[in-house]
Amino acid sequence: MATATARTAFQVERSTSSLGYNLPQRVGRLLWLPMFLMGLMFFGAGMVLGIVRAGEIADGGAADTIATLQHAQAGVMFLGFASVFAAISFAIARILGQFRAGGGEVQAAARRAVHTLKMPGTAKLFLALMATAMMTLVIASVLHIVFAFDIENTPASLADAEDRFVVLEGVRRMGIAVFLLAILFGLATIIRVLRFQATRIRQLPEEAPTR
Amino acid sequence: MSALADLVRRPPPDTDPTQTLRIRSAAIAVGLLGVAAVATALVVNILVAGGDAGADNLFWTFGLSVAGFGTLKLAIALVLAGIVVRLWMRVDAVKAALPRLKAEADPGVARHGEIDTPFGRGTLTEKAPGLLPPQAMARIMWKPMIVMGPMLVLAGLVLSLLTTAADDPDTAQALWAWTQGTQFLGEAMLLAGISFLLGTILAGLREGGGEVQESLGLAVKTLRMPTSAKAFLVLMFGGFLLGIAQFVLYGVAAYTDDPATWFAWLGPLRELSLGILLSGIVLALFTIGTVLGFQHWRIKEILETGR
Repeated sequence: MATATARTAFQVERSTSSLGYNLPQRVGRLLWLPMFLMGLMFFGAGMVLGIVRAGEIADGGAADTIATLQHAQAGVMFLGFASVFAAISFAIARILGQFRAGGGEVQAAARRAVHTLKMPGTAKLFLALMATAMMTLVIASVLHIVFAFDIENTPASLADAEDRFVVLEGVRRMGIAVFLLAILFGLATIIRVLRFQATRIRQLPEEAPTR
Repeated sequence: MSALADLVRRPPPDTDPTQTLRIRSAAIAVGLLGVAAVATALVVNILVAGGDAGADNLFWTFGLSVAGFGTLKLAIALVLAGIVVRLWMRVDAVKAALPRLKAEADPGVARHGEIDTPFGRGTLTEKAPGLLPPQAMARIMWKPMIVMGPMLVLAGLVLSLLTTAADDPDTAQALWAWTQGTQFLGEAMLLAGISFLLGTILAGLREGGGEVQESLGLAVKTLRMPTSAKAFLVLMFGGFLLGIAQFVLYGVAAYTDDPATWFAWLGPLRELSLGILLSGIVLALFTIGTVLGFQHWRIKEILETGR
């Protein structure tokens, strides 16, 4: 009875061998490291810009220089967050790939039909939200850097710079929130995959060998 | 704390693996609440920039945004707790199925010691090796972190509301400094809690893998701690110490004569601490992927060779 329930609870693809990694998983395996390294690089650069800005403030530097550095620092630092959150997402995709490829190989080694879970809705949400968050953060960070070089030492320009900073601050925070939500859905997908694997493994001894 | 321990308690071996976990749906609901908080703060920020609301609102929108992030991180911690439980169900499933699936073979005499695997150096032992010290620590430490982190984030939200309402500039400066320091210490604790939960997952994989092999009467193959796991520990503790440092330094900035200078470098510093913690989480997830690859390889080996 439990077996029958399990078979109807999951949408699977049937094959005789492991289906290997799907495209997002292959991308994840390839890109987690460059993103991880880029994140560390941007965090370091953001910290340096923050120290330079603090020095300008302490020395009574020009208001436009301080505003320029404020935008540039935020832009660089949040490119770091975009990179590290992307690295986390890719590392989650890599884990899902291990389940997909490894689970298939185990079933094939047991000489049973290979059932592979079709991409769950949470995984599709994970990908869509990750792409949205990535674009939001990158666009906000690039705009910070563009605006940084558009500041003049006039009251109107400085006020514009401040208003732009306030809006972009909200936008990049939203990008972070959506990234965290994407990661939540990615991890929720792992729970579903584990549920499928535990169910499938228990089914294997009941099935006739394929060869 | 005991309620948190119940969240990751190993289910009985005969638990039906098809049943769904309520914790997963609860976590998604909590996560959406966090996004709603950040979206509200974004709307108010736009109103402030457009001149439709006063600039003093930016203090509480900061507090609300960080509280939203904290809520999302709490949701992530809940999902990770669900993964810990599901991993135990997977261990019990493998233990139940493998004796009926594996090739019949004489176990022979195993040569215990160092081995090479496609996933790195490992060991071959008669009995399952115990947990590594960081894994044992992770199993204990995730709970206080997950309790204290949200408390600090909420305390910071209250401080941000008080900052908005403060009339005296000195009081506002002190409250604003404590808001930032407190909330980011809370965020650092939440990320440390998530890191410890990832360590708990690694502990479960090591313990479960050994348990399955031992139950079959086979010599136990275990991966040595990968370099990525060692780097994860360095980044995690480095980021967390920086999180504590920024809290202390914001305490100094609260009463300094030159707060603008202090805030200018403390802002990036607190972000750097979270960035380093997040980088550690990347490596923890990478390590989990590596260990899972090793486990699938080992199960396949047992199925094909019976040893």
